[in-house]
Amino acid sequence: MRARPIDLAAIGTLLTAFVAGLVVPPDAVQGDLQRIMYVHVPSAWLAYLSFTVTLVGSVAYLRSRSLRWDRLAGASAEVGVVFTGLALATGMIWGKPVWGVWWTWDARLVLTAVMFFIYLGYLALRRSFDDPELRARRSAVLGVIAVLQIPIVHFSVTWWRGLHQPPTVLRPDNPQIDSPLLFALLMSVAAFTVLFIALVTRRSNLAAAQDAAGESQLADPTAGAAITSPTLGGSS
Amino acid sequence: MRMRSQIRTLLRFELRDEFRGGEVGLVVVPFAVVALLTIPMAVGIDTPLLERIGPGIYWSIIMLFGVLVTQRQSSTAPTAARDMLRLAGVDPAARFAATTLATFVLLVAFEIGAGLATVALYSPALDSWWPLAALLPLTAAGLAMIGTIAGNIVSGLETKTSLVALIVVPIAVPLLLGAAQATEGLRVGAGILRWVLLLAIVDVVLAVAGVLTARPLEESPR
Amino acid sequence: MTSPTVSLRSVAVRKPGALILRSIDLELAPGSATALFGANGSGKTTLLRVVATLLRPSTGTGEVLGAPLGTAAVETVRKRIGLVGHDTTLYPNLTLGENLELAASIVLGRSARTEAHQALEQVGLAAAVDRRAARSSNGMKRRVEFARLLIVAPDLLLLDEAHVGLDPDASKLVEHLITDVTSRGGSALVVAHEEERVKPIVDRTLTLVDGILAGAAS
Repeated sequence: MRARPIDLAAIGTLLTAFVAGLVVPPDAVQGDLQRIMYVHVPSAWLAYLSFTVTLVGSVAYLRSRSLRWDRLAGASAEVGVVFTGLALATGMIWGKPVWGVWWTWDARLVLTAVMFFIYLGYLALRRSFDDPELRARRSAVLGVIAVLQIPIVHFSVTWWRGLHQPPTVLRPDNPQIDSPLLFALLMSVAAFTVLFIALVTRRSNLAAAQDAAGESQLADPTAGAAITSPTLGGSS
Repeated sequence: MRMRSQIRTLLRFELRDEFRGGEVGLVVVPFAVVALLTIPMAVGIDTPLLERIGPGIYWSIIMLFGVLVTQRQSSTAPTAARDMLRLAGVDPAARFAATTLATFVLLVAFEIGAGLATVALYSPALDSWWPLAALLPLTAAGLAMIGTIAGNIVSGLETKTSLVALIVVPIAVPLLLGAAQATEGLRVGAGILRWVLLLAIVDVVLAVAGVLTARPLEESPR
Repeated sequence: MTSPTVSLRSVAVRKPGALILRSIDLELAPGSATALFGANGSGKTTLLRVVATLLRPSTGTGEVLGAPLGTAAVETVRKRIGLVGHDTTLYPNLTLGENLELAASIVLGRSARTEAHQALEQVGLAAAVDRRAARSSNGMKRRVEFARLLIVAPDLLLLDEAHVGLDPDASKLVEHLITDVTSRGGSALVVAHEEERVKPIVDRTLTLVDGILAGAAS
């Protein structure tokens, strides 16, 4: 497996962001705990980006019926579910020392959790089909409907949580970020985005190779050739 | 005109098939009542607490068990039956509408059945009960549509019931929040208009999505 | 020269990891009845579904009742196709009469209880109109499917495993359906295993072997 330019770029930007995240000063209030932000925020960004790419791929497939769009949608969802899970986990790790509980019912955390399970349902659907065209058609429909629901889920969760103030003024995702921290954060976001592109393109290519390998050829034996005369009962 | 006639015909026979089979009335509703009965056994029988959280538990039960209503045997026509309808020229949007309407009727009946059990077991106190006449059908409509769409998406698969549940429930979160928060508003005497509007918006989005995706789902090669 | 009812050229059907049909060349002339034989798993049902326009071929071209396969035009001819497959189309909790009434109402675009009962009488199920499908035998359900075809009156008749579950009495229905279609200038394609029952009622037989059709006159 050869490293492509995008792979090298991902590694390079990730290393740079990692170093930046370590060398910038800690937050004045939260200390070193705040450095989780350099993983949590980019992960959450990728969760939304992945959904968007899945929507684009799904719509493009329904219009063009070209399987490469379906592979893009599927690859984006696979990468997206990983980063959504990472956003959830880091959000919980970040919140535990502050609020004393793993789960705070914060609106964004709840929305991220809902998105995570929507991804899982989408991927479970994709896994259920062997036929690439059937998988593409059904997944595209679910992809469009699921992603179109995300803004509605967002508003409903935000309205719901707007009725219930958090128990403390301190919020892990403090909107007031000083310049060095903001720089490190933006580096992380950029690095994760490059990583996303690298992973999605590699996964799409792998899916294309899998589909090509699985496709039967006209020169192959037919499925019926696997069935022979029974050997019981004296049949020949 | 032909499409309306198709919808009416399919709706009539699908409901008749379900009433004869009795899956919703004789199985799903009792199952939901059992759930309503067992939850206090697990969380404790603090009456004021149950009175307060009863409506929320009710709507959770509606959403989770409502998926079973949307996937009842009478709604999931066998492949050969779907082929027959395709050959007979039934518009896929008509089939979607008929199945959704049948599911809607059954979900409203399910909501009423489970609602009576909730009132009996949890004694929720609402300032006003009349808005439920809007909340029940709005929630049932949304759940019916997303359930029908999900059922069409997974048709032909062996694991479809559990997969449909995983697909439907996260997407139906706005329905749950809208219904539960509106009911909570009725309990404490607060405004519920935004939640009713949320339910209506979800229903419109799903209706449009259901009609637009009916044909691509129907024409899938098998 | 009238166009063939069905014309397939180099039609192949490929599934992931399995080649079902390799290269099918098939013509069904108007007024003809053709039997299709082949071993289990040879692709007979798949071929039938391609001809019924329910399955799009992976490669190849063809026309069914003048409509090119894989185009929107097939939707205009589907109502002229009558298909009875392996599985039943009946809703289990509806009676045989109600099931047929549903199908007839859809086909005719209006309430069709009278037509449904008449068709059931013609297939020998007059006394079973009110029996629920779930409590009916496979042979009875099959007769209901044939009754549906009497109402559809198709120009292209497709029967899969035509005689399965039928007693000798009911087997006459298969012959009647084929004769009815061919006498009106339509075509019939019948998948079967029992050669001795089918050969007398068709014009030619084809055998599906290794994804290709091999033919003979009846």
